[in-house]
Amino acid sequence: MGVSELEDSSRLLDEKLLLFMDQLALLEEKRATLNSLIEQGWFSMSKARYSMGNKHVSALQYASEIEPLVSVHARTLDNGEVDFCTERVKQKCSNEAGKDARLIEDIGPQEEGVRRRIKPKKDITEKDAREEASSEKVPEVTPVRKGDQNPQQDPLKWFGILVPQSLKQAQSSFKQVIELSAEIATLQTAVLNTRQELKHSMKDKHILQEEASAAQLDKEAD
Amino acid sequence: MAELSFNVNHGYLEGLVRGMKAGILTRTDYHNLAQCDTLEDMKLHLQTTDYGKMLSSSEEDLTVSMVDSKLRENLLTEFSCLRSNALPPLSTFLDYITYSYMIDNVVMLITGALKQRDVAELLPRCHPLGAFDQMAAVGIARTPTELYSAILVDTPLAQFFQDAVSESNLDEMEAEILRSKLFKAYLESFHSFCKTIGGDTKDIMCPVLEFEADRRAFIITVNSFGTDLSCTDRSALYPSCGKLYPEGLCLLARAEDHEQVKAVANCYPAYKIIFDDPEPGSGFKTLEDRFFEQEVKLNTLAFLQQFHFGVFYSYIKLKEQESRNIVWIAECVTQRQKSKIHNYIPIFQLN
Repeated sequence: MGVSELEDSSRLLDEKLLLFMDQLALLEEKRATLNSLIEQGWFSMSKARYSMGNKHVSALQYASEIEPLVSVHARTLDNGEVDFCTERVKQKCSNEAGKDARLIEDIGPQEEGVRRRIKPKKDITEKDAREEASSEKVPEVTPVRKGDQNPQQDPLKWFGILVPQSLKQAQSSFKQVIELSAEIATLQTAVLNTRQELKHSMKDKHILQEEASAAQLDKEAD
Repeated sequence: MAELSFNVNHGYLEGLVRGMKAGILTRTDYHNLAQCDTLEDMKLHLQTTDYGKMLSSSEEDLTVSMVDSKLRENLLTEFSCLRSNALPPLSTFLDYITYSYMIDNVVMLITGALKQRDVAELLPRCHPLGAFDQMAAVGIARTPTELYSAILVDTPLAQFFQDAVSESNLDEMEAEILRSKLFKAYLESFHSFCKTIGGDTKDIMCPVLEFEADRRAFIITVNSFGTDLSCTDRSALYPSCGKLYPEGLCLLARAEDHEQVKAVANCYPAYKIIFDDPEPGSGFKTLEDRFFEQEVKLNTLAFLQQFHFGVFYSYIKLKEQESRNIVWIAECVTQRQKSKIHNYIPIFQLN
């Protein structure tokens, strides 16, 4: 009886260990992809600067108050893991935007979703900036906008209408980065979770082993 | 006949510009710069060139943006030296060179104002060669007509506003259209000015400006795919002083994808090479890169003749390319992307 329990416990431990290793390998792979996408994005922006002029792709081209186009939803699952998923804010149709325009009220920095992070690297900008992994659910705030501004604008347009290919490539790299960072955050919590489970299983197995060896000694003593 | 009278008014300045041309960075200089690991190393290497102590004078941390600003200031110093001693018609010619920078500055100020950026923040970033008195007021205008009648009417840019006036609000699309229309008028005006000067200036400058006109037509077309700019709007932006006018421009106006643009380019031998697929083994070059290369080739030809104004234009354009090269190398160094560092365009190959 004790032996089969021990066997089960060992098998469970093995499975957990393999899962842990798989998750770690996946995490490393995703991190490597993330790093290379970010490098690619920055480099494509440098190429765009080469074609357009250094000061035409810089902090001057975006406003100091921006609304995010992507929000991150965090959801705690039953097993303690946290699941992060990204959601693109849908394009509003024009009559809805008109209704909102009546609520014109400058309330300062807008708390919709997660604020964009601007990387303070020299004076280069990052469109669709990465949000931090641990964010709260998006509050149901009616978006307040200034009158004649188009709220859901493609950030690519900040740099002009006729932008070179390299800038479009930079944008798509950074978009992928956002999706990937949510996946990595989820995976990280899963990895930590698995590690905890691994520890518990290890402890359980030790207890069972001690019981089994104690039972063995008793038998031999008899 | 120009050989007999040119030096009376312009000989000193031609001598000056040829002296400055000798300071353009060579392949060895670029090779040394590409070996650097930090911007500080690059600063040291640049000290051995004609740039001298340009970067050493500032107290702030060295960034790529700062390198770019210093290179611009350097160009401004050299240009002012030429302009302040110039007599007509060279003075008008040199002024024409500055108008393209002015147009860029105007559009940057407008788009900055759209983003509620402070004028004090925008002005230092404007190109110094395109500075004019009324710059600070540009951000106030709401429509192109207002911009013209209230602010730019007393500036040299006023002459380029015939087609560009409109009552539509200045948003990103209108700013882009304004830029292209002003530039079109400017290029056509410059082209006819060079034609009136005649002689070697016309022989050197007109092909260069025609290339510029065609380049703009191609780039506008290619970059407009996937945007809100319609074909009809697009065709109004093409300068008409190039080789593509009129048939090529009609075809370009109707093009809807890259293949159709390539088909148009294939009708013109000079542009066929630019749009051709690259040889296997050579690094990938963007369309803009190839146009820059061709521009450098055309501009170096100006120095093979004497007693004309083309050397001044070509010198400015070649120095601009040099700035782009140095900034590119600086970006590769700071981002540790050494594999692409050799994508700069060396200027005088046989140095």
